[in-house]
Amino acid sequence: MAYWFLRGLGHGIVTTRYPKAIDVWTQTLPTPPAFHSDRLTLALADRLVAVCPSRALAREADELVVDLGACTACGRCIDEGRGAVEASGVFELASTSRERLVKRVRIGGGAG
Amino acid sequence: MSEPTADQLRRRALALFGRSLHIRTVDTGSCAVCESEIRLLSAPPYDLHRLGFFLTPAPRHADLLLVTGPAVRAMDNALLKAYEATPDPKAVVAVGACALGGIYEEDGLVHGALDRVLPIDVYIPGCPPSPLALLQGLLVAVGRLEERVAALSFDLVAEAER
Amino acid sequence: MSHAITVLVLATGGLWLLAAMTGLAAARRELWLRAAALASGLGGACAVTGGVLLAIHGHATNVSVGSNVVGTANLRVTPLAAAFIVLLGIIAVAIALYAPRYHSPGRGTALYTCVYNLALIASLVVLAAGSVVTFLVAWESMALLSYLLILRHQEREGVARGAFLFLALSEIGFALIVAAFAILATQTHTLDLATMAARASHVGAGWRTAAFLLALLGFGFKAGVVPLHVWLPAAHPVAPADGSAFLSGMVIKLGIYGIALFTVTLLRDGPAWWGLLIMGLGAASAVLGILYALMERDLKRFLAFSSIENVGIILVALGASLTFAAYHQRAIATFLLITALYHAVNHGVYKTLLFLEAGVIEHTTGTRDLDRLGGLIRRLPRTSVISLIGTMGIAALPPLNGFVTEWMLFQGLFQGFRIANHTVGILIVVAGAVVALTAGLALNAFARAYGIPFLGMPRSRGAARAQERGQPIAGPALLAVICVFLGVGAPLVLTVLSRTAHFITGVDIHAELLLPQLTVIPAHTNFSGFSPTYLAAFILAVTAVPILIYLAGRPRAASRTVPVWDGGIRAFEARMQYTATTHANPVRVTFDPLYRPAVELQRASDDPAGRSGPVHYGFRVTPIFERYLYQPVVRAVEWLADRARPIQSGDVSLYLLYVFVAVIVAFAIYAK
Repeated sequence: MAYWFLRGLGHGIVTTRYPKAIDVWTQTLPTPPAFHSDRLTLALADRLVAVCPSRALAREADELVVDLGACTACGRCIDEGRGAVEASGVFELASTSRERLVKRVRIGGGAG
Repeated sequence: MSEPTADQLRRRALALFGRSLHIRTVDTGSCAVCESEIRLLSAPPYDLHRLGFFLTPAPRHADLLLVTGPAVRAMDNALLKAYEATPDPKAVVAVGACALGGIYEEDGLVHGALDRVLPIDVYIPGCPPSPLALLQGLLVAVGRLEERVAALSFDLVAEAER
Repeated sequence: MSHAITVLVLATGGLWLLAAMTGLAAARRELWLRAAALASGLGGACAVTGGVLLAIHGHATNVSVGSNVVGTANLRVTPLAAAFIVLLGIIAVAIALYAPRYHSPGRGTALYTCVYNLALIASLVVLAAGSVVTFLVAWESMALLSYLLILRHQEREGVARGAFLFLALSEIGFALIVAAFAILATQTHTLDLATMAARASHVGAGWRTAAFLLALLGFGFKAGVVPLHVWLPAAHPVAPADGSAFLSGMVIKLGIYGIALFTVTLLRDGPAWWGLLIMGLGAASAVLGILYALMERDLKRFLAFSSIENVGIILVALGASLTFAAYHQRAIATFLLITALYHAVNHGVYKTLLFLEAGVIEHTTGTRDLDRLGGLIRRLPRTSVISLIGTMGIAALPPLNGFVTEWMLFQGLFQGFRIANHTVGILIVVAGAVVALTAGLALNAFARAYGIPFLGMPRSRGAARAQERGQPIAGPALLAVICVFLGVGAPLVLTVLSRTAHFITGVDIHAELLLPQLTVIPAHTNFSGFSPTYLAAFILAVTAVPILIYLAGRPRAASRTVPVWDGGIRAFEARMQYTATTHANPVRVTFDPLYRPAVELQRASDDPAGRSGPVHYGFRVTPIFERYLYQPVVRAVEWLADRARPIQSGDVSLYLLYVFVAVIVAFAIYAK
C-alpha cells in the first residue's frame, strides 16, 4: 500500500512548476521566428512577406517589420527562409504595450 | 502628475490582484481554440488554482476580463455590458492573434482588433497561445512576473553582439 | 355604558340611513355623493367605537325600534357580535374613503350608494338582532340588497349569472335558516333570541341536531363553505370593487356569525362531533379554496377563492373550539374562539384592502388578467406598498396580523393531545396539518398574486400606461395601518378579545393568555409563547443594522451605476418573464388528479423540424362541484318540474276544482 502511494507521489505529479521552472517539453512549442539579419536580403524579405498568411511580416525600406502580435507561429517563413530564419523558442510573449510587440530587423544586418 | 512608470504600474497591480484573481472569459467571435487553451488551464498539468487564479462566470465577481476573438460587431453590446458590469479595479487581457489585430481587417462585420473597442492591459500573442503563455500573460497582468518580450529583439545577430 | 353602546349602534344605523337618502339625492348633485360618503364613514366610526366598547363592557341595553304599523325590530347587541360590528365599521369607513374616487358620478352611482348604505344597515341589524323575526328580515334584506350591489353594471358579461347564482344559493340557504329557527322557536316556545338561548338546553337531542345541521348548511351557503361556495367565484369578479370588498369582508362573515350564533350561543354545549364536522368542512374549504385559487388568472376570482380558504380557516378554529369545549378543555376552547373571531376581523381587513386595490388595478390598467399585468410597482408606487402590506397580512408573514392568528390557530390545534379521546385528538392535529398545507400554498399563491402584477415588466399596453393620479389611496392606506396595528398590537387586541370571550363563554383566560411582557400564550404556559410586538421590533432592528453598517462603512470612492447584469442580451422583453399560469405550474402538476384539466393544443402545422408556426395552448380546470353536484341537482329539479307541469294546464275549470278541493281540506283540518 505504502509503495503505491509513494510511487504515485513520486511519479504521478504532472503539474508544471511554472513559473518557478520551465519544463523541457516547452522547447517543442511553435514560436515566432527569429532572424539572422545578416543573411537577409531584400528579395528574401519580400518572399517572406508574401508567404506569411497573417499580417505579421512587412517590409519598410530596409527593415523587416515583425508583428509578434499577428504571428500565428505557422512556420512558413522558417521553411521559406531556411538558414536566415529559425524558430525563436520564445513562448513567453505577453506584453503590456501593443507597440512593444512590433519588432524591426534591419535587412542585411548592421546596427539594430 | 507624470505618467506612472512600468514599475509603479506593476506594483499597483501586485497590490490589487497579487493574492487572488477572478477571471471572466469573453468570446467575441473567435474560433474557440483559444477557449480550449483557456479551459486547459484548470486541468491538472497547468492548474491555475495553485497560482490563486479562479474562473468565474459572473462579471460582477471578476477582477480581470480574458477576451478572445476579433471583436465581432454583433458582440459589441454583450462585450461592453460585460465590461461595464465588471467592477473597478479591473484589467482586460486580449488573447490570441485575432484579438491583437493580426488576422482580420476592420470592416462592416468586425472591428478587427480588440483595442479598438476596449482599453487593453496585457496582450498575449499566439494562435493559440499555449496554456503556459496564458499563465505568463496572467502573471504579468497581476504584476508577479516581468514581461520578457520587451528586451528581446528577435534579431539573432543583434542578440549575439550583446 | 350599556346605554352608550346602544346609542352608538342606533347612531350608526341612523347615519347610514342618512347616507342612503343622501346618496339617492346625489342623482341630481354630485356634491351629495361626498356627503353620503361622509355620513357613511361617520357611521362606520360609530360602529367601531360601539363595537370596541361592547367588547370591553359586554352588555348593551336592549331596544325596540319601529311601531305597530311597520313592525318592531328588537335590537340586542351581544358580545359575540362585537368583533363583527367593529369589522363592519372598519369596512364602512374604508369604503367611504374609497368610493367617491372609484365610482364615476351619475344616476347609477347614486342608486348604488343608496343600496349599499341600506345593505350596511341590514348587516348591522343582523348582528344586533334580538328576535328571530328581526334576524330573518334583516338577513333577507341584506341578501337582496347585496344582489342589487352585484348588479351594478348589469349590461356587462357575467354579471347577470354571478348575481343570479348569489341570489339562488342565498335563497336556498335562507330556507334552511328559516327551518332551523323554526325548529328552535317551536321547541322553546319563544321568538326572542336571549330566551331561546336560555331554554335551548331543554330541547331534545334530535331536534338540536336537526337545527344545528340546518343552520350549518344554511349559513354555510352564505359563508362560502365548500361545496356550497360556487357563487363566490361567479359573483366577486363582476361586482364593483367596493361591492366585492363588502361581500368578501362582511357578508361572508355574517355566515360565520350565524354558525357561531347557533353553536356557541343558542345550542351551547353541543356534542363533540358537531365541532369535528365544522372542523372537517373548514379544513376541506381551506385547502380546496387555495388550490383552486392558484389556478386563477383573474385577480378577483383569485381573491374570491382565497376568501373561501380563509373562511375554512375560521371554521377550523371554531370547530376545534367546540370540540375542545365538549371535552372540558375550556381554556383552549376559549382561546380558539378568540382565534376565530380575531381571524374573522383580520381577514375582513386585509381582504377588503386587496379587493379595493384590485379595483384600482382594474381601473388604471383596464384588465384583471394577471397575465396582462406587470411592472405596476413603478407606475402605481403607493398602491404597491399598500398592496404589499395586505399581501403580507394574508400570506401570514410576521409580524402582521395574519401571522398572529395563524400562529394562534396552530398552537391551539397542536394541543389536541390534551383530549382524552385519542382519535379526536389525532383528528384535530390532522386538521392542523391540512391548515399547514394551506398556509404553504397560500404563501405561494400570494407571492404569485403580488409578484406577477406588480414586479417585472408590463405584459400589456394597459399595464404600461397605468397612472396613479386620481386613484383612491386613503381608504386602502387606512386598512394597511389597521393591518399593522392588529399584528404588532396583538397583545392589546387580545386583551379586549379575552374580555369578550369571557362574556361569551364564561371562561376568563386573560391571565393565561398574556404575560405582562406583551407575550401571547396559547392558554397553557408550558406549551409555547411568542410576542408579536417584540418580533416586530426585532425585525426592524435586524433590517436596520445592515443598512446602518452599509451607510457607515461604504466605500467613499466614486461609484458607478450600471444596469443589472443580464448575460449580455440585447434587451429584456416582457415575454421572457414568468406568467401567472407558469408560476403555478408545479402545483398544477402535483394536484393534477384534483384539477382534471381540459387541455387543448393546436399547432398551425406538424413540421417536425419545429417551424410549425403559432402554437395555441388552452387550459381549463374542470369545475368539479358544478359538474358533479349542482348540475345533477338542477337536472333533477327540472325533471320534477317537467313531471309537475300538467298541474298548470291553463284550464280554468281545473283551477276551480283545485280551489274547491282546497276549501274542503281546510274545513276538514280546522274543524278538528
